[in-house]
Amino acid sequence: MEVNIRIAGAAGQGIQTAADLLGRAAMRGGLHVYHYSDAESRIRGGLNFSHLRIANRPLAGVSETVDVLVALSEDGLRAFGDAVDAAGMVLCKGQWSHPCALPFHLDELARQAGSSRAEGVVAVAVVAAMMGLAQRTVSELVEERFVKQTQLMAANKQAVELGFAAVRAANPDERFRFTLASAEDNRLWISGGQATALGAVAGGVSFLAAYPMSPATSVMTNLAQWAAQTGVIVEQAEDEIAAINMVAGASYAGARAMTATSGGGFALMTEGISLLGMIEAPAVIVLAQRPGPATGLPTRSAQGDLHLALHAGHGHVPRVIFAPEDIADCLHLTAIALDIAERFQTPVLILTDQLLMDSQTALPPFDVDDLPTERHFLSATQLDELADYHRFAVTADGVSPLAAPGASRHVVVASSDEHDEAGHIADSVEIATRMAQKRLDKERTIATQVQLPLTLSADPAGRQLVLSWGSAKHTVAEALSLIDNGRFAHLNLRQLWPFPAAELTALMERATGVIVVENNVTGELARLVRAETLRAADTVVTKLNGRPLTVQELVRRLRGEV
Amino acid sequence: MPVTIADYQNDVPNQWCPGCGNFPILDAVKMALVELQLAPQDVLLVSGIGQAPKLPHYLRVNAFNGLHGREAAAATAAKLVAPHMTVLVHAGDGGGYGEGGNHLLHAIRRNIDLTMIVHDNKVYGLTKGQASPTTPVGTITKINPEGVTARPLNPPALAISQSCSFVAQGSAAHKEHLSMLLAEAIRHRGFSLVNVLQPCVSWERVYTYAYLKEHAYELGGGYDPRDRWAALRLVLEPDGRLPLGVIYREERPVYELRGSTHEDVPAYVRPVQPRSIETLYERLR
Repeated sequence: MEVNIRIAGAAGQGIQTAADLLGRAAMRGGLHVYHYSDAESRIRGGLNFSHLRIANRPLAGVSETVDVLVALSEDGLRAFGDAVDAAGMVLCKGQWSHPCALPFHLDELARQAGSSRAEGVVAVAVVAAMMGLAQRTVSELVEERFVKQTQLMAANKQAVELGFAAVRAANPDERFRFTLASAEDNRLWISGGQATALGAVAGGVSFLAAYPMSPATSVMTNLAQWAAQTGVIVEQAEDEIAAINMVAGASYAGARAMTATSGGGFALMTEGISLLGMIEAPAVIVLAQRPGPATGLPTRSAQGDLHLALHAGHGHVPRVIFAPEDIADCLHLTAIALDIAERFQTPVLILTDQLLMDSQTALPPFDVDDLPTERHFLSATQLDELADYHRFAVTADGVSPLAAPGASRHVVVASSDEHDEAGHIADSVEIATRMAQKRLDKERTIATQVQLPLTLSADPAGRQLVLSWGSAKHTVAEALSLIDNGRFAHLNLRQLWPFPAAELTALMERATGVIVVENNVTGELARLVRAETLRAADTVVTKLNGRPLTVQELVRRLRGEV
Repeated sequence: MPVTIADYQNDVPNQWCPGCGNFPILDAVKMALVELQLAPQDVLLVSGIGQAPKLPHYLRVNAFNGLHGREAAAATAAKLVAPHMTVLVHAGDGGGYGEGGNHLLHAIRRNIDLTMIVHDNKVYGLTKGQASPTTPVGTITKINPEGVTARPLNPPALAISQSCSFVAQGSAAHKEHLSMLLAEAIRHRGFSLVNVLQPCVSWERVYTYAYLKEHAYELGGGYDPRDRWAALRLVLEPDGRLPLGVIYREERPVYELRGSTHEDVPAYVRPVQPRSIETLYERLR
């Protein structure tokens, strides 16, 4: 069973708060929850919504289905009222009408509770009651949430009472009532941004510098909130250029360093990424994509910066590019990225997007025991035994022994100019050749040693191979299952560079056709696939409007292709 | 073993022009570090691009020679991560006041314990003689055939107006004085800006060694660098002479002392503990 709840209204009406309370309440009731939000770039007004999918099985795709519409504004009712069919339910104000409107209303109950600002909590209570969640759970969540706002707390607690009472009195049918599992639940209510920040801690991050930019800001916000507990140094830089150069300086000084930004900020960082390549400084850069060009759609989502990430930085810069496929993967790949960055002394880029960063879900505590815990710097003892230390010593695999300044009697020299093995400026033919070759050797080492496993839904023999990447995974998988799983083999890529060209070529040869699905205007993965496998996809499904791909639109569009 | 000049010697071939004003600055840096008995492994020199920023290569020391203008940003982070290090920043007037102007403003705001030494020769040397942010009005360059019209930046006045906690001016023609000034700047806890007047022997014909010798003077005992208005008057109402010494200083809280819980464990050996995230779970339920 699954219930899709859409809470729509203006910015500032408490949509996020209501969605957060309802999501947590469902989690504490033992249900699965996936929440994504759709918001304009403003603090007050406009039309925003939060969409919660609540089910007794895991769900993480983006759906257009609306079973329950909570309309906090008339615009919200107008925009999504038609999406509610006869089996649905609408909760709105008394003066608005909808065939599925409940007999009681948000504004009346909120007024009775003592504050018009309690409409959101009334809605939470009504929907929770309809789903069979415990009133006590919702009351506790309201107490936790409004602990510092005494007046709002009283009104909102009353709103919970009235919402549950209204549902009892109306005695509605039980079409939204879940059979609840155990109430004991140790799961976490977590967003992609929080999972990325948690992954950074799990991966031993010790320094983050960033400049606020949607949808990446939550990484910095969460790490800053946790700084006292974790000891991570969080620096709000004066601009993204400062942020990436701070990352370079911190990394040189021995920190596991990272930053998080979106397309415009990342564009400013590109000279710094080139620097990281030249001085072989470990660094993790989270690129949370939103639609461009320029300021684009600041609060929307896209997968449109893959080629920017692939080519950012002048000259040739070895790099690794990961794209987490869901909220849990944000944690794992961020932690792994910090290790890989230090092991190979190279920038690692993590491509997420607004959809992934701002979505929330209920997840069990993470299994982190398999995450890497090794540091890759020479110890003080190892350094003491060296007669000389050369930061860029040529080695068989292109990876030089890494040392931090101050760790020993040796000095550590890094230069953005071409340099000799000791790090000093050099431009002789011999040294330039040797150092360029060293970096190429390192790139080859990375290509052989950094290979995330490819997870296919089925063997592509006799099927259409559907390729997607990053955050599109669950939406594409759900759409394919609704059409006919037997006709497809789905592969969602989490590692975009080094590119798994050989494996992919073999898979493409076995398949009856290749379909690429991605949320950008040109088909960036499709272009990469063609460049690396010399084979073009038969169909490329793209999207122009900066909204996430949805299950329903993919069903419509892919049906025509098979 | 006391630290000596020899500890700072290296054999990296120098790329500066013969007679360059950077040579006496290099000497003064070494002399100041020896005066303070700082060992090379405990000192980090951060720089960008240009002739002045090559300085860190010409002594045996930890060196981060990064991007043009981004010196202060990189140095800020290195100091936060390794607070025990003595961190000096070397920039030219192009990198420090042009490309990197924003980072300078914010380094002043933070009051992080860095010593920023700007080699101010009022010209872009390595790109062949263009105007810099401190080039005087009227100077003829290939790009300004009718003379520079933009007013030169007044770095000491800018820094004092923003409560930079240590503002000094030195001269490459006054090496001994410069080394004492640098030692004092390094000793200062907080952000120090040392503007060093420097001849460019290839492009600039006004600020020669002789000119600096004739026009610069050392601030005497009667001058109080804690008097902000006196300091501003000194740099905003020039009398044709060039003051050398500490122009302004004030005590402000030092930025990096806000503290990390791992201060005693150097960043490069800090353990990776994935299970430490479990202590954050209570915030996510």
